[in-house]
Amino acid sequence: MDDLGRILKSHPFLADLESSQVGFLIGCTKNLRFRAGEYLFREGDQEDTMFLIRQGTVAIEMVRGGEPVCVETIGAGDVLGVSLLIPSKSHLDCRARETVIALAIDNRCLHDKMDADPRLGYAIAMRLLARTYDRLSRARLQNLDVYR
Amino acid sequence: MIADPYLPQPLVLAHAIRELPDVFTWTFEVPGGFAFKPGQFNMLYVHGVGEVPISISGDPARPERLVHTIRAVGNVTRVMDRLSVGTALGVRGPYGSAWPVEEARGRDVLVIAGGLGLAPLRPAILHVLANRAEYGRVVILYGARTPADLLFRDELERWRGRFDLRLEAIVDRAGPGWFGPVGVVPRLLDDVPLEPDDAVFVCGPEVMMRFVARELERRGVPRQAIWLSMERSMKCGIGLCGHCQLAGSFVCKDGPVFRFDRIAPLLAVREL
Repeated sequence: MDDLGRILKSHPFLADLESSQVGFLIGCTKNLRFRAGEYLFREGDQEDTMFLIRQGTVAIEMVRGGEPVCVETIGAGDVLGVSLLIPSKSHLDCRARETVIALAIDNRCLHDKMDADPRLGYAIAMRLLARTYDRLSRARLQNLDVYR
Repeated sequence: MIADPYLPQPLVLAHAIRELPDVFTWTFEVPGGFAFKPGQFNMLYVHGVGEVPISISGDPARPERLVHTIRAVGNVTRVMDRLSVGTALGVRGPYGSAWPVEEARGRDVLVIAGGLGLAPLRPAILHVLANRAEYGRVVILYGARTPADLLFRDELERWRGRFDLRLEAIVDRAGPGWFGPVGVVPRLLDDVPLEPDDAVFVCGPEVMMRFVARELERRGVPRQAIWLSMERSMKCGIGLCGHCQLAGSFVCKDGPVFRFDRIAPLLAVREL
């Protein structure tokens, strides 16, 4: 397994995958660096990439009254683009707060791999579902505005 | 020992600090001292208006300064918000159970506060910090609505500057000026090493405490290691009137601090 494979396998999102499955994903993956203030993607962009954050903090923002409002921050170990299973456009801005290093996995390529290896597809889908559920739980608590 | 639990002690408001637009901190100077345990509360009586239960937010090592942090949210507390230094009030207490700071000696202490819930935890934090060598790792996780809603900001900065304490603050939403994390308090647990013998003190809105307790359990912290401070409508403060009854317990007398294994079944009961 090359360096990119080792990095992929070390990310919590893929940690328990078999080495052969991780190796299967290498061709879909790039290791990217974003400067502070740079957007990983913006509202309206086609979500064609899933990011596995390795380092740094990403602010998930929505613009209200012309001002960005940060609704959540995510960091190392987190995943951005959990909606990859359903082709969609981003409804949020995702901005690097500081230098962010992330593994960028091309969605189309990943879909092809998941179709080609249903066990891999199932494993990825279950991980995405767990992350989505966690995020939904947090969003619901946030939505209650409990400190008002 | 309280001679007559219904008899308020007359005290004069010595200092008032504006914490937030609707939150203020009052200090009564009590020359003879007003001993209390961290987590306990007093009934504060505004003459001719009414009486409300308010947690003590001061330093238990300085009983000559009785401190309460109050949100102007009801009829009595809105009147309190308009009172001036020098006003005489009635104080009954201290009442209720306390954070188990003695039981926590030798253990790692995790304090999790949400919103105004930091106020009842402040005496426990001050006690732990005053006796720092007797505790293991100390972590404070604090959540608020926005950066502008963080309580005790100067003190938070001081705590954050200590090497023997880890403080993380998170807000539900933020504008460009906030560089800390954004999200809900349980999220902060992602980066906190937890052990089954930690002592965890939690205070905040009840729904937040339920989420936090569930997350702690999921991460292996047993219910016996978690304490919550509950809030219910209190009137007498001594377990006689029944206003704050919570199944077989009275929040004023058996609480407000409950060990989670004793209170967990009740938190799931609707309309309780």
